[in-house]
Amino acid sequence: MEFDIKKSIDLLGVICPMNFVKTKAALAHIKPGEIIEVKLDEGESIINVPRSVKEEGHKILKVFNDGQSFRLIIQKGSDQ
Amino acid sequence: MTNNRLDITAMKKMGMIQQKQKDFFAMRLHVVGGDLNTEQLQRIIEVADKYGKGQVHLSTRQGLEIHNIHYTKLETARKSLEEINLKMGACGPRIRIIVACPGNDTCRWGIINTKKMAKELDEKYFRKETPHKFKLAVTGCPNNCAKATENDIGIMGGILPEWIKDECSKCNLCIYACPKNAIYKENDQYKLNEDKCIYCSICTSSCPSEAWIRKKEGYILHIGGTMGKSPRLASKLCGLIEEKPRLNILIEKAVQYYKKHGQKKERFGHMIDRIGLEEIREVLLDGV
Repeated sequence: MEFDIKKSIDLLGVICPMNFVKTKAALAHIKPGEIIEVKLDEGESIINVPRSVKEEGHKILKVFNDGQSFRLIIQKGSDQ
Repeated sequence: MTNNRLDITAMKKMGMIQQKQKDFFAMRLHVVGGDLNTEQLQRIIEVADKYGKGQVHLSTRQGLEIHNIHYTKLETARKSLEEINLKMGACGPRIRIIVACPGNDTCRWGIINTKKMAKELDEKYFRKETPHKFKLAVTGCPNNCAKATENDIGIMGGILPEWIKDECSKCNLCIYACPKNAIYKENDQYKLNEDKCIYCSICTSSCPSEAWIRKKEGYILHIGGTMGKSPRLASKLCGLIEEKPRLNILIEKAVQYYKKHGQKKERFGHMIDRIGLEEIREVLLDGV
């Protein structure tokens, strides 16, 4: 599946909660419906960031597992 | 005046513990689930200033102790605390103060009302005699912040998840987020290995499309945990317990079994190891 990614951020090595803060900041710079890609570490990051993104009203379209890390494809929520 | 005539054992039972400075005592307060209001805190400050040395000690089990109280002042200090409903704690071979995390009152992960549960258990069991010390803890979810598994009886909130096919966006996040690798994919279906599941709710909280839902909510009962000289983590008695009355029966049976079969100075968990977990599991779960 192809995504029209507006911004890609690499948060490998960035711990909670800064990984979510940076994700949120990236989402603030795009329009509702647009998409960003976020690279995250396994463990705490993959447990916490998607949950927080979801709670803020955004949509996770896809998750890729690249071995020790993950890529989240996030679509900005409509009422953001 | 000397303190030779003091009944140290009886005082221990009431939470007054003799220090190595023999004329001085530590007053252990009855703080259930670590909760105190500001009126109580003010009074504790007053008592510690007036009868102690202006200092309090926080114990490892959410307790609060006022140290360095001369034995001649104990009675006055106790009465002052009891005026505002601050009772004394317990020490020795009996059921101790119940520990609890904040639970679903304030914590986003909390599944059960830990404070209410701790209060109920306290009313029923506090200071009851047992073969050795006996500790209970209530923790809101499998993050286990209240260390339920380090207690003779540990109660933990939990959920059993269920996958709803029509809601699923096939993002696979559940597989990655599950801390126990209990979720797997088979023939395009997501499945749960309940033997591996710890009922933690990370899958239901993380799922972007609400395809994992809470099928059941309830309690996980752990028995036989202890720290001390021979640490032993508690054993999970059975799967998720949905009904509170059933949980209460199991707790009661466990306490009664220990009172009957536990040897003096033998912790519940060490009794379990001596008799055998399977046998105890069978007795406790029989008919419940």
